[in-house]
Amino acid sequence: MNSTNRATNRLLILVVGLLLLVVGAAAAAAVLIPVVRDTWKDATGQVTAQVSAWLQQTQLGDTGVSWIMPTLLVLAVIAVIVLIAFIARQGRGRTGIALRERTSDHGTTVVESDVVEHALRDAIDGRSEFVASHVSAYRVKSTPVLKISVTCRRGVSPKDAALIVEEAVRSLDVLLGRSLPALVQISGGFRARVSSTTRLQ
Amino acid sequence: MSTALTDPVADARPASSATTPTAPSSGGFTPPRGVYRRIARRETHSPRSMPAIVLAVALILVLAWIGTEIVIDLLGAPALLVAPVDMFTSAVNLVEAPAGIVAAAGIVVAVIGLALVVVAVSPGRRARHLIQSSRTVVVVDNEVIASALARHASLAGDVDPDNATVSVSHRRADVQLTPTSGIPVDPAVVKEDVARQLESYGLKPGVGARVRVAQTGRIGA
Repeated sequence: MNSTNRATNRLLILVVGLLLLVVGAAAAAAVLIPVVRDTWKDATGQVTAQVSAWLQQTQLGDTGVSWIMPTLLVLAVIAVIVLIAFIARQGRGRTGIALRERTSDHGTTVVESDVVEHALRDAIDGRSEFVASHVSAYRVKSTPVLKISVTCRRGVSPKDAALIVEEAVRSLDVLLGRSLPALVQISGGFRARVSSTTRLQ
Repeated sequence: MSTALTDPVADARPASSATTPTAPSSGGFTPPRGVYRRIARRETHSPRSMPAIVLAVALILVLAWIGTEIVIDLLGAPALLVAPVDMFTSAVNLVEAPAGIVAAAGIVVAVIGLALVVVAVSPGRRARHLIQSSRTVVVVDNEVIASALARHASLAGDVDPDNATVSVSHRRADVQLTPTSGIPVDPAVVKEDVARQLESYGLKPGVGARVRVAQTGRIGA
């Protein structure tokens, strides 16, 4: 429902996972498999020489410091900023506006999501089937979508719960004169378990 | 507000059909294209936010540490833990280190990496089902389905509700009944009732029922 970019989540996990897999496997192979061990040993001197040559060639003026190190530092800082932005990007997408429409040439009508939330909760909260309800609005593909989550009492048929909420949503359609896309989320949870069983009707 | 919602026809203004193609209170509501499909997909699958955030925080810590070491090294002060040059040389001379420790650490790291790859590629289904509906997207926790089935199974089998255990997975509902001693339970009746309930819910994907009745009853239940 929220606008979390799930593809980047998976991409980050995949890249880090592959990296750890390759590094771990390489380290284990280097000490366990004789052939790998020998080639690794042969390459050691060469790699060290190459890297120290690079560090020599990339002197920063006459300070005696290679610019490779500051470059790595800048890269690390950029990566940290990108990662912080990545974390902050999670779970967003709530909106306070349920409906925005140009009703005339001179103005726009805006229905805040609070109106819709209160209307729906008024209709749902009295029902004995539910212990709790929560209504919020999200933007999905730049369309406001209502999310109505209800917590059922033990033993309530999910179909009945869905029908009750749907009826409230249809009433809201009539009230607003517009149909808003809606998600109904029916859950049980701990509070449902400690509350009493519903009576059969 | 509540009165208006409980009586939908009371003061319904006729919808100005000029701006909305979908007339309210008609059965077939058509949302903007792809919106409902996207919601249904996202509500039944894990966003993988938790592992991604944990990894991002770990990466930030590691990068911050390496960055600090680089700064300290550039200033010529002694390193916090390991100087950058030592990081490089010890990585290159890995084979000289004690083989047992390196092998064990390498294998542990590789297994963690493999687990992360699996987490990244697997679908990550949540324990939820969709209920068919014309107006909204309805997602229901398997827990709720199980609880409703348990009530019906205990009624059909004439056992105490506490002696009916139901677990609902992606495609199957497992009903387990412990009969009260001396009162036989007909599994066929229970199964029929549970199957009828499941059918009436219209779950997506469909769920099949399996009923098991315990061989030994329980006294005083």
